[in-house]
Amino acid sequence: MGRSAKVSSAAPTPVPTPGVFEFADQLTAQAAAVQAPVPAAQLHLITFRLDGESFGLPVETVREVIRVGDITRVPQSPAHIRGVTNLRGRILPVVEIRTRLGLTPLVPRSTARIIVAEVRGRVLGLLVDSVAQVQKVPADRVIPAPDEVKSAHTDYITGVVQLYDRLLILLDLARALDAPGVPHS
Amino acid sequence: MAHDHAFAELIQEYISECLPLAEGVNDVCLAVERRWDAGDHAAAAVAGLKATLHTIKGNSAMMGLRAMQLVAHALEDLAGRIAADEAARGEAESALLVHGSGLLVDLIPAAADPDAGTGAAEDFVSQVRLHLTAGPAGAPSAPLRLERRGADRRAEAGADASTVRGDFRRLDALLEIFGEAMIEQSALTEVHRRLATRVGSGPELADLDRVVGALGATMKRLETALMQTRLLPISTVFGRFTRAVRDLARDERKRVRLVIEGGETLLDKTILDRLGEPLVHLLSNAVVHGVEPETERVSAGKPAEATIGLRASALADRVVITVSDDGRGLDTDRILAKARALGLEVPSDNAADVYGLIFVPGFSTAERVSHVAGRGVGLDAAAAAIHDLGGGIEVASQPGRGTSFTLSVPLTLAIVRSLIVEVDHERYAVPLSHVAETVRLEPGALHEINRQGVVMWRGSAIHVADGGRLLGTGTTRTAPRNYFVVLFAGPRRRGVLVDRLVGHQDVVVKGLDPTLGRPAVVSGATILGDGRVACILDAVGIVAQREAA
Repeated sequence: MGRSAKVSSAAPTPVPTPGVFEFADQLTAQAAAVQAPVPAAQLHLITFRLDGESFGLPVETVREVIRVGDITRVPQSPAHIRGVTNLRGRILPVVEIRTRLGLTPLVPRSTARIIVAEVRGRVLGLLVDSVAQVQKVPADRVIPAPDEVKSAHTDYITGVVQLYDRLLILLDLARALDAPGVPHS
Repeated sequence: MAHDHAFAELIQEYISECLPLAEGVNDVCLAVERRWDAGDHAAAAVAGLKATLHTIKGNSAMMGLRAMQLVAHALEDLAGRIAADEAARGEAESALLVHGSGLLVDLIPAAADPDAGTGAAEDFVSQVRLHLTAGPAGAPSAPLRLERRGADRRAEAGADASTVRGDFRRLDALLEIFGEAMIEQSALTEVHRRLATRVGSGPELADLDRVVGALGATMKRLETALMQTRLLPISTVFGRFTRAVRDLARDERKRVRLVIEGGETLLDKTILDRLGEPLVHLLSNAVVHGVEPETERVSAGKPAEATIGLRASALADRVVITVSDDGRGLDTDRILAKARALGLEVPSDNAADVYGLIFVPGFSTAERVSHVAGRGVGLDAAAAAIHDLGGGIEVASQPGRGTSFTLSVPLTLAIVRSLIVEVDHERYAVPLSHVAETVRLEPGALHEINRQGVVMWRGSAIHVADGGRLLGTGTTRTAPRNYFVVLFAGPRRRGVLVDRLVGHQDVVVKGLDPTLGRPAVVSGATILGDGRVACILDAVGIVAQREAA
């Protein structure tokens, strides 16, 4: 209705990143695939970008991807909370995942999206720079991140995958959100 | 996992169905005990219990809850015996009835743990069995007086069928959908307004006027009807008190009668859930401090048995509840002495101001020396809980005649009439139940004392906080603060400077996800007509907040 209404992933609007909106279909396909015997150890990852790096999340944890509508700031909320947004009448907390990972807060552009994910039984929105597509990755291609980048602060990285010319960083969302936040100024 | 979830849901359903039944049974048992004490008949009431007990037994068996099943079964047998031969009644029987039904009330909420209470249940069953096989032990009680009014009996036995219960998750879902419809309605109204400005007039526009107007009226009716379905009788809370008061009075070696009136008064569950605790505080306070020991009462020419009244009545969109006792009344001298000893500021010597001191945090809990000295078992906590609900509490007292507390609470917290304000382009909803007044800020009206904003309001100087600073809008002040909103919670007041008053609106209250922390200044959120989320200010939190840095 209003100008502020959010567009869900199923909306037939032309979009800059075509892969994104096949996402719903792929989820369905994924659900069907679960019924059938799956060749073991195929990871289905939804990939997104933060500050030029590519990240991956297991599709099972993702409910949908929405465009960024109005986000209302919540006074006195934790530093990594961007605010709340209206998801079809539900009030969805939006997490500024970038500050969680030590990056500067996002200045949203038209490619920005909110990944609606379920983390430990809670539904949260993750604000990301852009969303690419669902990737199938053989589990044995996942390698540990180099020890040098590992620390208490990065144990939310479960591993990395070499994908064509890119490196995909796999995130453990629950851990990423539990990690000690980068303090607010 | 899925199975567990379904089971947990079934257990919840079991509790929401059986707990009111058990509470009803417990109430009837307590009434039966009183009647027998007075030498009256109560066989009809006892007979009426059998059907309810049978239902509890059946439901418990279905859920595999053996403890509850055993207790309900034993009570059913006991009730059957008493109904068949009331001459068999006596103190032992009434004690068993009260104990068993109380056990059910305790066990049912713990149903999630299937093994809980098995020991207590087995003890009870063996007591009943022993009793039934041994036959009535004591001498038959006083001869029965036979004249009874039929209406009384029906009232006693009526605990089974009239119990209202609701699945609130379903009702909450309904309310959520209604909230969405409300948002769409205001979007439609907005489009209509813009269209009218552009087109001016025309037959279609006139039709649209009419439809939008009618829709508004229908939505208002729908809101009222929806709120009605969410209302439950206050007796669902009051029901627990008969036993609590009886037990406490027994511990205190006092004889106390609890008189409940207006149990049918309706309130939303959001309020009911939070009313139990403050009422327990007030009732305990009445039993422990209000009511004198029996000898003192008798020598003062009062009945040995004290009466505590718990009354509810509806008053427009609020419910008024009074807790009264016929005890010794508040002693202003003692309150004053104690206040001075605690170093509290005493506003004046007039009785109302002095009585007000008993709600001051720490006053009632600071001294635990004797029951005679002060009054107040957590009266400050009770008052705070009522203020949190957007309610008020007042006390009146007459020396030697008794004390009464009067509470007034809103009907619901699910839909709240709010003032929408704007601060640095952010919109907030302020519950009108906590707004004393909104005032235009005249030039020069805002003063600074010790780096805090102060304005004169209704003859007194009140502290005003800058809305932007309070809410951390972070932006440098772009819009001028044109108004201040005077918030109140209990006796405390605080002004908040805002840029603009947008209007009044009924908002559907939604809770904040725990991920958002527990902001002291925000109590929830709502979705405004344009689809944007607005935070609901927590007036109690803001008023209570000492200086923001």
